[in-house]
Amino acid sequence: MNAKLKETILNPIFKGNPITVLVLGICSSLAVTVTLKGALVMALSVIVVCGISSLILSLLRNTIPGRVRIIVQLVVVAMMVILVDQILKSFEATYAIDKQLSVYIGLIITNCIVMGRIEAFALGNKPWPSFLDGVANGAGYGLILLIVAFFRELLGSGTLFGIDILNRFGYVPNNLVILPPFALILLGCIVWVQRSIQKDLQEK
Amino acid sequence: MNTNNNVYTVLYTALIVVVVAALLAFVSQSLKGRQDANEKAETISQMLTAAQFGSKAEFQKIGNAAVLQKYADEIAEAYTVNLAGEKVADLPQGEVFSPKLLKRQNYNIKGGANATGEPEIPVFVFKDGTTVVPIYGAGLWGPVWGYVAFEKGSSTIKGAYFDHESETAGLGAKIKDDPDFQASFTGKQAAFDKTPVFQIVKGAEGGLADNQIDAITGATMTSQGLDAAINTWFAAYAKFFLNNAPKQDCCGGEGCEGDHENCEKHEETEE
Repeated sequence: MNAKLKETILNPIFKGNPITVLVLGICSSLAVTVTLKGALVMALSVIVVCGISSLILSLLRNTIPGRVRIIVQLVVVAMMVILVDQILKSFEATYAIDKQLSVYIGLIITNCIVMGRIEAFALGNKPWPSFLDGVANGAGYGLILLIVAFFRELLGSGTLFGIDILNRFGYVPNNLVILPPFALILLGCIVWVQRSIQKDLQEK
Repeated sequence: MNTNNNVYTVLYTALIVVVVAALLAFVSQSLKGRQDANEKAETISQMLTAAQFGSKAEFQKIGNAAVLQKYADEIAEAYTVNLAGEKVADLPQGEVFSPKLLKRQNYNIKGGANATGEPEIPVFVFKDGTTVVPIYGAGLWGPVWGYVAFEKGSSTIKGAYFDHESETAGLGAKIKDDPDFQASFTGKQAAFDKTPVFQIVKGAEGGLADNQIDAITGATMTSQGLDAAINTWFAAYAKFFLNNAPKQDCCGGEGCEGDHENCEKHEETEE
């Protein structure tokens, strides 16, 4: 694997993370991070939607009429989101999660990461790097989601993936952690940590 | 190739849309069976939860097949009734009312432009005598629905389970997520001979009546929506429950005010 491809994959995970650096996809990261299971399904859904939409649009990139390219992107992304939603609804194991995530799976359409990466990367690059870029951005998004969900489920419900961790020691779940504002506080802390490590992000 | 040509642009977008639409229609059709099965198991587990056969989490754990089996073991009869409380038809074996069907009946109860006919609303009677009826209405952001279970032959509520499409998480969503709210229905009475039949009240300082429960803090609109849904549907079931009330309640001679009408009905049917 050459250096450029490696950079495509690694950059969105940390250095150019879509949530903490580009500040995209904040809305859903507040909404679906109450439980780890929900966050994991959301993360995987975004990875699939982002990766495959980027791949399809990269394959079509030379044929898409410039004036309607956003519409074409939207149609492809919407198609992927509906497919993911339909598939989640069809399996016993994921049905409850899909119900729990309710509108947020559908709202992946409006997740700026997906359209942003297509417009910025997939329309100007070959299919394989575009696919990797989509997957990596989805993964960068998912990583933050899982970190936030880890703390929110642990402190808010005393469990991890539904398994009791703290409650057996007499921990009383903190209801504030369940509410969206706490996710914003956590996100702020994550951005803080990242900026302390990555000094070039700090404004002079 | 000139991709900015008008004809090309129109044909290209048309082609993309047709291809995507065809694909989605195909996927939707092929997955419909599975989705309906999941929805049915979900509906059944909600009814079983309302009837206190177990908790929602337990039913989720044991899986669809076990939920259907449990329902088949426990159900005695399921049928539809009209507004006069008379039985219309039996539901096919193992069939339940999906939220979509509830929505249609909700229009029928309310009447108006969306009504498709006379209301035919379902009643589920379990072997231990527990009677479960659904409710359906509008919350703040989307529909709310649920199931209320009554003790055998009475208007005492045994349990309730509510669900919603898109109420606010942590506030309106509590109608589904807060076990305490659902538990507060247990032991309450539905006053089928009064209006309103049931009330979800805010800040009841003078204590709660038998047919009142406390609303959810911070979810006024959802509470009001649920209150309206419960009253609309309970009113529709009122005749059914009054007809089926134990005879000693209305024909015992004492304390049978307001129920003489039903009394006569009973006598008529016995003749």
